[in-house]
Amino acid sequence: MKTLIIVKEKDCEWLRPIFPGIHPLLVPICNKPFIEFLIDFAILAGSDALRLVSDGPLSEVEQYCDSGIRWGIAISYGSFLSSDDNAMILEKNHRYCSGERVLSMNGFVFIKYDKQHDYAALFTSLTEGEILSCKKGSLSLTGGSVEAPNVIETLPLSLLELDSLEVYYRLSMEILGFGESPYVIPGYSNEAYCHIGRNVVISKSAEIRKPVIIGNNVQIMSDSIIGPQAIIGNNVIIDRASTVSDSIVIEHTYIGEHLEVQNRIAAGNILIEPESGILITMDDPHLLTGIKKSRSREALFQSLVHRILAFLIIAVQLIPFLLLSPILKFQGRWKKSTGSYYTNDAGKTLTLTTTTIDRKSALSSIAAALSLDRFTLLFSVLSGQLAIIGSVPISATPESSVTLHEMGAWYKAGVFSYAEAEEWPVSGGDKAIVERYFAVHGNPLLDIAMTIKAYFNLIHEIHTP
Amino acid sequence: MNIKETICNNITTINLCGTLDASTAPTLRNFKYATAPGNPIVINMSDLDFLDSSGLGAIVGMAREKRDQGGEVLLACLNNKVRKVFEITQVYRLFDIYDDVEAATLHAEKKQGRL
Repeated sequence: MKTLIIVKEKDCEWLRPIFPGIHPLLVPICNKPFIEFLIDFAILAGSDALRLVSDGPLSEVEQYCDSGIRWGIAISYGSFLSSDDNAMILEKNHRYCSGERVLSMNGFVFIKYDKQHDYAALFTSLTEGEILSCKKGSLSLTGGSVEAPNVIETLPLSLLELDSLEVYYRLSMEILGFGESPYVIPGYSNEAYCHIGRNVVISKSAEIRKPVIIGNNVQIMSDSIIGPQAIIGNNVIIDRASTVSDSIVIEHTYIGEHLEVQNRIAAGNILIEPESGILITMDDPHLLTGIKKSRSREALFQSLVHRILAFLIIAVQLIPFLLLSPILKFQGRWKKSTGSYYTNDAGKTLTLTTTTIDRKSALSSIAAALSLDRFTLLFSVLSGQLAIIGSVPISATPESSVTLHEMGAWYKAGVFSYAEAEEWPVSGGDKAIVERYFAVHGNPLLDIAMTIKAYFNLIHEIHTP
Repeated sequence: MNIKETICNNITTINLCGTLDASTAPTLRNFKYATAPGNPIVINMSDLDFLDSSGLGAIVGMAREKRDQGGEVLLACLNNKVRKVFEITQVYRLFDIYDDVEAATLHAEKKQGRL
């Protein structure tokens, strides 16, 4: 048997602002990414292959699950358009779905099952069609024939729509409340209601009250009280004399000293009340903050390369700039404008003075060919605020913040753009495609080549009618 | 890169084989199809070993041109390397992608029948 998991972006996008940077399928439920519960169920159902299809990005999930070798199941990935219906999605996966029996899990739903049950035998005896459904999802079987169909009145499984934070919280607490969990939960457990991960440091004076689930690489400082009903994620620090009960602390979170976290979800520097969904963003890093990974060496090297390149271009452009800009200003062909632009995906802004050169005269054409309009921007590269090559800067307006959000982590404003280097249209949505490509495939050496390419393309552009 | 064109029921299937990068993208861009401009095209990418931003530009450009002419470009059999490029750049949002050439051709025929 094979399994097809269909996830529509609109069903799970509500999770993105709450857990920024985590794909909804990787959001941990009791320290186990949601997708792993689905994989476990597919294996229990007797599947030897699983395909995950979505109309949204899946790269993070793919990075995590890879080919599925960790679970002993072949995992593949696919995409569909937001406008596609289920029949169309099945058609698009025709090769995968033909031949064998396929279990389709449709929607962003949690399947409540029991690992002790023999689902493989159950699904072999069921006829094709919908097995279970709820408002936002369903479980169905397609293909394959059954010799002696089995009629079962009550199935030993149910679906739960994951459509709000309250449901997420209640589900986590429900799983935590099982003495012997029907699911596989990560961590060591030599007694009921208690799972503890690897490399956990618990101070002698700290108190652990069951039921609890504690992830890997967790530090619990002196006089802290964890539980009852606490889920502590991986890489979490609970500082001195703090209490965490009836709460979920998501991975990479620091809980400050002398705090009482009760009936809350703490994720980075965000504290959430599950029932109302009210979010409080903490500004004080001593109270609650995210634990960030240190910047990689390559990023530092890339920044250094960008600065050296900017310095070299400044050296090349300095004399032509000093000679040509006063003349062009006098002729009225050198027009300046000041505006605020986003510099990176975090929404940091920078006021930039951009120059437009009217290319009607020979002198202005030379100035434009030498990219003298970018000269002043190069100093922002030296200060580390801009990249020498990156995305076309987006002006900081309330409307464009949506565009910035859509672009995600790969946005870094540059003096030159990858779109210019690859001769993609700089205006319009298509430029985002090439910028995303280089955000992933880019490296310092490639940036040097692409900057030179962009520089020469601009010269060529001037001389091409 | 090799481009092999087959036509069946007015549906053009293009098999791309090899590398689609800056050096080979112009070949695809300048390729002349034997069918009418408004007819759909299915691109079989199963034998495409490498795709970079220039190659992607050629495919996106081809799709834009087809759409302007009232046709469409369907993609089929993306291998892992190619699919990852589509995933990273989010180009999958622009295309109908099938895991099977026959299913893509069938869909194109259905659509053409409706027109």
